[in-house]
Amino acid sequence: MTRLSWSLTAAFLAGALLSACAQKGGDPSRQYGPNPELPEPHQYLLPPMSVPKEVGWKAGETPTVPLGLRIQAIATGLMHPRMVYTLPNGDILVVESNGPGTNRFRLKDYIQGKVKARAGSAAKGANRITLLRDTNGDGMPDLRTPFIDHLNSPFGVVLVGDMLYVANTDEIVAYHYAAGATRLADPPIKLTDLPAGAINHHWTKSLAASPDGSKLYVGVGSNSNITENGMDVEQGRAAIYEVDRLTGAKRIYAAGTRNPTGLAFEPGTNQLFAIVNERDEIGPDLVPDYLTRIREGGFYGWPYSYWGQHVDVRVHPQNAAAVAKAIKPDYGLSSHVAALGLVFSASETLSPAFANGAFIAEHGSWDRSPVNGYQVIFIPFAGGMPNGKPIPVVTAFLGQAGTVRGRPVGLALDHTGALIIADDTGNTVWRVSGTAAAR
Amino acid sequence: MNASEERRAGATERPRWLLHPALVSIGGSLLIAAFPSDIMYYQTSLMQWANASSWLIAGGLVLALVAAIALLIDVISGRGRPIGWLNFILLTVASLLSLVNVFIHSRDAWTSVVPEGLWLSGIAALLLLVVAFRGWTVTAAPIIPRGDRR
Repeated sequence: MTRLSWSLTAAFLAGALLSACAQKGGDPSRQYGPNPELPEPHQYLLPPMSVPKEVGWKAGETPTVPLGLRIQAIATGLMHPRMVYTLPNGDILVVESNGPGTNRFRLKDYIQGKVKARAGSAAKGANRITLLRDTNGDGMPDLRTPFIDHLNSPFGVVLVGDMLYVANTDEIVAYHYAAGATRLADPPIKLTDLPAGAINHHWTKSLAASPDGSKLYVGVGSNSNITENGMDVEQGRAAIYEVDRLTGAKRIYAAGTRNPTGLAFEPGTNQLFAIVNERDEIGPDLVPDYLTRIREGGFYGWPYSYWGQHVDVRVHPQNAAAVAKAIKPDYGLSSHVAALGLVFSASETLSPAFANGAFIAEHGSWDRSPVNGYQVIFIPFAGGMPNGKPIPVVTAFLGQAGTVRGRPVGLALDHTGALIIADDTGNTVWRVSGTAAAR
Repeated sequence: MNASEERRAGATERPRWLLHPALVSIGGSLLIAAFPSDIMYYQTSLMQWANASSWLIAGGLVLALVAAIALLIDVISGRGRPIGWLNFILLTVASLLSLVNVFIHSRDAWTSVVPEGLWLSGIAALLLLVVAFRGWTVTAAPIIPRGDRR
């Protein structure tokens, strides 16, 4: 009897563990576009974790770009570069930053922190913005200097007129900027507070200015994966704020966006778009991260539901009214890619294929097998809307045998139209130029 | 020596301490406490209770492992007399259920407790309460025959 109960229990345990581990993600291309395939949600026994090991770039190694483009490192040895931004005079700002740290509530929080650190996510950020200047027009900066110091986990940065706005994790600050400045040493002017606090789970605050410059838009991520830190700490999170640039008055412009990591206005229509990272731990193919138009007053589902009206049973109490009004996103990017950078193309500089559309940087998955993302893609647009399959542009961030060399985050176009990529694991800034435009 | 002489000789030795009962009782109490904590989460949806449960179960499992080692020492060193199989089975099943349960509790929010977690901690608590009333020992305590007491 004893032996029987032992072997029965052992078999049950082994079966449960195996079924929890055996879940493999499908072909990501089935989740591109407006109608991604959504499998049934799955509750894990073991939390899914699959993280490649950080090895960095060896001398001479670069990511891969298609024929007709070339890629070069324009800055290396940075401290966790997350965002890049081009000033009107061609100077490139590099935001070197990482999260401020978070409260841990469960054993799981400690273990997941350790696992994610394998791929370089725990590296210290410099809390600084570095300026890169190319004085002779060859695309390679010959000046590299600290531009703003002593920031607090900054992410978004935008210049409007002569004011430079930086989104720290807890506030937006403004600096007076004069064309050609190489250092902003004056104390910053505080524009407004942003939701942060002791947990601050999704700490990045993305930033964009309205085309007329009167408003700023700020992406604020949720304080948890799916409310496991409690509903009360989600007050004012998972939302996109509109901030009046002159007064600092702010309001929630759209809500239910779990982690809106990139905001940008589509140049043809002046429509605000966001990339949003969706929830984890209900399957390798749930839930797709997405690119979508952001409507004023819109609600995009988090935490109650995903991709429209798909209710998430982990959220309690539920909210049927919120589920009913949840907007279905415009374009699926496939699951767990961790889209972190968004920039619209401005011209045919790189290639005629990239004349009209959006570049998106996919930092890469940590909880999906096989891994997904780890690339920069281009999504063609037509009539102000995504139209067609994503085209991989910058790839091979992953190395051999479960290793990762770099991970793309922030994107920008430089003043020649070349694509600039912040790589926070490779501690590098990459520049992708058309071979014709490379000069 | 015949059997009764042998028993008498053993009985006159001073009984040695058992290592495992204290550990079993502490670990078992933690696992039992996870059940009311889970009920509190079920009724309030406040994550503090689910978090408390996950620590209680994790702590109970660590003590279960230490208690198992202590039991092994008790048996090998001859401190413990015959193993009480009922308590042993109850504790083993409760520990294995709790092992599954600690993974259930690593899920996020509602489904980390409801419904599987609640069931598992309820069954484990029931089994452990039986053990508790039976005295938290796996090996029987050395029996000193009445006539030989001093």
